[in-house]
Amino acid sequence: MKLFYVSFLLIVVASAHASAHAFLDYSEPAVGATLSAPPAQVKIWFTEKLHHATSTIQVFDAAGREVDKKDVKFDPKNELEMGVSLGNLPPGTYKVVWNAVAIDTHHTHGTFEFTVR
Amino acid sequence: MAVLACAILFAASTRAQAHGFEGDRFFPPTVSTDDPFATDEYSVTFQEFNNPSGSDGTPMTHEIDVNSEFDKEIFPKFALGVAGTYINLDPSNHQGPAQDGFDNVSLSAKYQLWESAVHEWILSIGGEVDLGDTGSKALGVESFTTYTPTVYFGKGFGDLPESLAPLKPFALTGTVGVSIPAQSQNQDGSYNSDTLQLGFALEYSIPYLQQHVKDLGLPKPLSDMIPLVEFTSSSPFDRSGSPTTGTVCPGILWEQADYQLGAEALIPINAHTGPNVGFVFQVQFFIDDLFPKVFGHPVFGHDEDSNTRSAQP
Repeated sequence: MKLFYVSFLLIVVASAHASAHAFLDYSEPAVGATLSAPPAQVKIWFTEKLHHATSTIQVFDAAGREVDKKDVKFDPKNELEMGVSLGNLPPGTYKVVWNAVAIDTHHTHGTFEFTVR
Repeated sequence: MAVLACAILFAASTRAQAHGFEGDRFFPPTVSTDDPFATDEYSVTFQEFNNPSGSDGTPMTHEIDVNSEFDKEIFPKFALGVAGTYINLDPSNHQGPAQDGFDNVSLSAKYQLWESAVHEWILSIGGEVDLGDTGSKALGVESFTTYTPTVYFGKGFGDLPESLAPLKPFALTGTVGVSIPAQSQNQDGSYNSDTLQLGFALEYSIPYLQQHVKDLGLPKPLSDMIPLVEFTSSSPFDRSGSPTTGTVCPGILWEQADYQLGAEALIPINAHTGPNVGFVFQVQFFIDDLFPKVFGHPVFGHDEDSNTRSAQP
């Protein structure tokens, strides 16, 4: 039993100094959203601060063509946010592919889709 | 020693990637069955249940186990582990003195044999060695070593068609192993069976739903939870004629940045397993997040990042 309680104590102490993998917290457009007008950009807010040089967002149409403006940007006021600009998207379903490297080098990836009517 | 230290420092300078990822899928470590990933892990599990009374008149016993397991990736996709369990046995109705002590030490090895990020598939091979006579004699631990070669698998359902999108957060993991005792017959003439060991976990990941399928705006802590049902069974093949035992374990995992909490009920599948429902609680420490300079990398070599996706949709 002592081992159990000591381990709890260790995790609480260690967690106070830990960083972690960056996961998607929320996004604009939202994951799986259907929009009546095309968005001007895709923004993602992550659960950890990002390493700017190696974190990316790309957006592809249903034919696999990249439709973002390849201008990944970071908000200097919010180190959890990453975004990319879009052209004028015609109706269709689009896939967002993100790669996030947290500042402690933990690497995560993910995809989601949104639809423009 | 110096070589080992250099290897650790070298590994620590590379990009960190541990955890059990396949494509968009994070396979969480499960409570009652082993997951298929060869990664750095440390867990502490508290388990409480009743053992049935024996046909030889031994009374029902109340058992509390505290298990601790540590796994370390040695080479890319290959990990070694060690586990120990402290056991307290208390006969019901005070029909005998309580006993406590350590169970036999268990060593494990696992190798990720085949993976598909697109289809969220993984197949691993490995096994455990339960070292005989390394535990407390007062508990009557086995005096012989038992080998359990095991196949591990995991499959996420993120590749289902869009018409079945609500089912994409489902994932199934499992283990199929055979326990082979090094000693087939005991001094009292009784036999030790080879035993088929099965374990399955069916989970529905709410984080996967929110992050990859449809953001329903679910609030925390609900958005961090993974409800699951696990199943374990142990079926002797031969010799002893002992019955199959097993448990069905409904429960929930709660994901946090650096650790995971898991709780499950242990429902016996028959009277041979136990007389009533038990309980298990686990803390899984994501030691690659807690200590990223030390963990999250193989000791030798580089992790080939199986989750890396080219710039294609």
